[in-house]
Amino acid sequence: MYLSKKGRFRKIFWRSALGIVLVGLIALGAYAWYLDGIVTRQFEGRRWTLPAHVYAAPLELYAGLPLTEFDIKHELARLQYRQVDKLERPGTYREQGARIDVALRPATFADESRPASILTIQTGPKAVAGLRDSAGKEVPLARFEPLMIGSIFPIHGEDRIVVTPNDVPPMLPAALKAVEDRKFDTHHGIDPEAMFRALWVDLRSGQIEQGGSTLTQQLVKSYFLDSRQTMSRKLREAIMALELEAHFSKSDLMNAYINEIFLGQDGDRAVHGFGLASQFYFGKPLSELDLSEVATLVAIVRGPSYYDPRRHAQRALARRDLVLKLMAERGVVSQRDAKAAQARPLGVSARASGSYFPGYLDFVRRVLRRDYHEEDLTRAGLRIYTNLEPRAQEQAELSLDRELARLDKNKKYPDAALEGAVVITTPQSGDVIAIVGGRNVAYDGFNRALDARRQFGSLVKPFIYLTALETGRYTAATIVQDQPVQIKLQDGTVWKPENFTKQTYGPVPLVRALAESLNLATIGVGMDIGIPKVAQTLQRFGLERPVPQVPSMLLGTLEVAPIEAAQLYNGLANGGFRSPLRAVRAVISEDGKKIKAFPLEVTPVAAPEAVYALDRMMEQVMEHGTGRSAHLVLPNNLVVAGKSGTSSDLRDSWFAGFSGSHVVVVWVGYDDDLPTGLTGSAGALPVWTRIMAGLEETSWDAPMPESLAEAWIDYPTGQKVEKGCSEDAVPIAVPVGTELPVKPGCTQQPNSLQSIVERAGEWLRDMMHR
Amino acid sequence: MSIKIDAVIAGQPIRVTRTRAEAEPLCVAARVSACLAIAATLAACGPIPPSPASAPRPTTGPGSAQTQPEPPDTQRPLPPVEREQPSRPPPKTFALGPASLALVSQAHKQAQGGDYGEAATTIERALRIEPNNPLLWIEMGDVRMGEHNPAQADAMGRKALSLATGDPQTQAAAWHLVSNALRAQGRNQEAAEADKKALGSTPR
Repeated sequence: MYLSKKGRFRKIFWRSALGIVLVGLIALGAYAWYLDGIVTRQFEGRRWTLPAHVYAAPLELYAGLPLTEFDIKHELARLQYRQVDKLERPGTYREQGARIDVALRPATFADESRPASILTIQTGPKAVAGLRDSAGKEVPLARFEPLMIGSIFPIHGEDRIVVTPNDVPPMLPAALKAVEDRKFDTHHGIDPEAMFRALWVDLRSGQIEQGGSTLTQQLVKSYFLDSRQTMSRKLREAIMALELEAHFSKSDLMNAYINEIFLGQDGDRAVHGFGLASQFYFGKPLSELDLSEVATLVAIVRGPSYYDPRRHAQRALARRDLVLKLMAERGVVSQRDAKAAQARPLGVSARASGSYFPGYLDFVRRVLRRDYHEEDLTRAGLRIYTNLEPRAQEQAELSLDRELARLDKNKKYPDAALEGAVVITTPQSGDVIAIVGGRNVAYDGFNRALDARRQFGSLVKPFIYLTALETGRYTAATIVQDQPVQIKLQDGTVWKPENFTKQTYGPVPLVRALAESLNLATIGVGMDIGIPKVAQTLQRFGLERPVPQVPSMLLGTLEVAPIEAAQLYNGLANGGFRSPLRAVRAVISEDGKKIKAFPLEVTPVAAPEAVYALDRMMEQVMEHGTGRSAHLVLPNNLVVAGKSGTSSDLRDSWFAGFSGSHVVVVWVGYDDDLPTGLTGSAGALPVWTRIMAGLEETSWDAPMPESLAEAWIDYPTGQKVEKGCSEDAVPIAVPVGTELPVKPGCTQQPNSLQSIVERAGEWLRDMMHR
Repeated sequence: MSIKIDAVIAGQPIRVTRTRAEAEPLCVAARVSACLAIAATLAACGPIPPSPASAPRPTTGPGSAQTQPEPPDTQRPLPPVEREQPSRPPPKTFALGPASLALVSQAHKQAQGGDYGEAATTIERALRIEPNNPLLWIEMGDVRMGEHNPAQADAMGRKALSLATGDPQTQAAAWHLVSNALRAQGRNQEAAEADKKALGSTPR
């Protein structure tokens, strides 16, 4: 009975055991079948979500472009072209006397694609002398590929550049196999031996560590799973790896791995795939990496943060050398090549992905969000072509940084750091070519160029004077009274503004009132022509916010952001034509179609004669007025026009002005609106000057409208003089036939002594610029 | 336009002033072919200068009609100092530099194929190289006409006019553009005014 009982129990035991195993197997089978569905569905139709990639303006080369050999080599270095003795593959160049031969990479522009080609640049002492193609034939123009300046990636931050097997140097898969998965070519998704070895290590250490995973398993982990390390997850990973291998070829899996794997973190941005990693760490395409660089990326796979080559260079270097050693041991490269590569430095670029201009990218994102959903921007693989000019951007960043550091040394508040913002545009087309949103250019935060709304100060004055000139009742020589003003405001109080110097200057010509930024004279003019008219002028030039119609507006109490100031001044530099400022040239879809263009637009918004006459007055700001210290740095023969701005209590220091080639707006101040102790001339002007001096500038040189004539007046009195007659003669533009009072004693004949002095001056000037 | 130099002679600061370099005729040597090439479309190039050899060397100084970008040349002798009230500069003729010329001919092909958007992009490339050349603004206006955007064509014409001072041929071409743009907007009276100005500009 006991036996029978025991037998029955055994029978039940075996039956239930069998049942459990069967159920388990069925469950496992069902689970595997379920996973198989996921693997095939998701992997077969795999499409990485591709963030929009953003490009700078390509550098156009042509005979006469004012770049020296040094400048061109700097541009090539920015694009990570390598100097070689003998031209090899795209991405290299060689120098031979006064010529540079460049093996251009294939490139896609907003309007066309270009295959790899050879370009010869003949350099001159000051400018490009000529261009030739590989057959030695002269070509009128050529361009370097546009620098990629960033991506617009989704919230979770995955950014990547997808590469095809053709883009991948053969060394890379070989190195990955040698280091990460020796049996990749033969296993079926898992490598039991490696797994058990890793498991053994895990058991002994009492925790689960990385290791033993095949490339396929790593791919599964990255593609399908989260990062938790549990046993069930390991099981799932193994099943899915087996299934992936059953369905897809080894080369498919290798290509997927190369595009998928995580290789670094840059703020919010997760760098995925070797395509982007190559740009991120070395600033050049994957296909151009040498052995040492490939080994570095393979080294990073194991721990992108631990082996970060920028932050932990020693660790990364040691692991790179290990990778090279393993590659040599496994016969992927020769011992000699491995040794040579080990001798090389890491060679990572200083800045992530070659360059990264968060202030500018911020502007681009805002422009695009008007037209696109976040989804399209972060997932649809768009290519965004912008107007950013890296040279100008770098010059703006550097100038702001250096000058603010200098100004901070004598600062009023030891705990507060001065801040600043810069916008640079090209006058005729309204291209925004540089934006600096603050001192810490790498910080993607408060963008002062776009969001710091500050008092406009005297930057408003040119628009008052323009409105006055447009009435036809004023010329640059019109005498205005700089005298105490009292204005009764609507609330019954009396407004008693003062000049910055607390003095009054009496009768002065308009040109001097502007050049020296006389408040009282300006208020007189503004009240005479009417505040609404001035407000309209600002709006015609592109100010979109409402203008407070109060007298203090004439001293610039309205608040604008630097980018708005740039829009307004661009119209002055563009002869009274408004061109909406443009950061984006075109948006190209993943399949190469232009889906959005931002065409050049111009709208006449002011009488060209008035704008010309005003611009000539602004030239005198730089010669006689608040901007004159600029010419201590700028070449004497460079004609620029501008205006300083200082808000009440010296809270804001502005300078806005232009040459023939650029409009530059600079704001300097404290974020919390503390007084800076700086006028526009003391704070923003040095930054402005430094930027202008660092860019290739051409003089402001608009042709004088035919209805105007040049006249010379005595700067203090506004009386007409002959050029040689007064020490303080300034040229102005007035309507043809304007009768100006002549300075007494100034004869029509210039005296001969003066003319000799004039010639001596010419001669000296010539000497100085030799 | 003036350039000031502060020179110190015998301890005394003396402000010396020089007018900007005067404009010079331009359809010279290398640019003859450029002028011929665009003459058909623009009717803007004046009589070909007498002889390239005797033509004045184009200056790079401000105020010059020279349109081919060149490095600033400080070696060049300065023009004689003027003492008289500056008179109107002699007529000049704008021309396109080789880079712009290549782009303009590419743009014409694109426009002929009906692809005005690409043509505009191409003209913009040229404008980034020679932003002060009125001929390019006229080209841009032509593209805008092709795009049925007469308002912008009109604006481009006016922009060209603001730059074409001293070049009657180019002024005439710009007024033609303005007139066409106005007519396309039904502003016939203003168009007729523009036509008159075009005729008035054309040298006889």
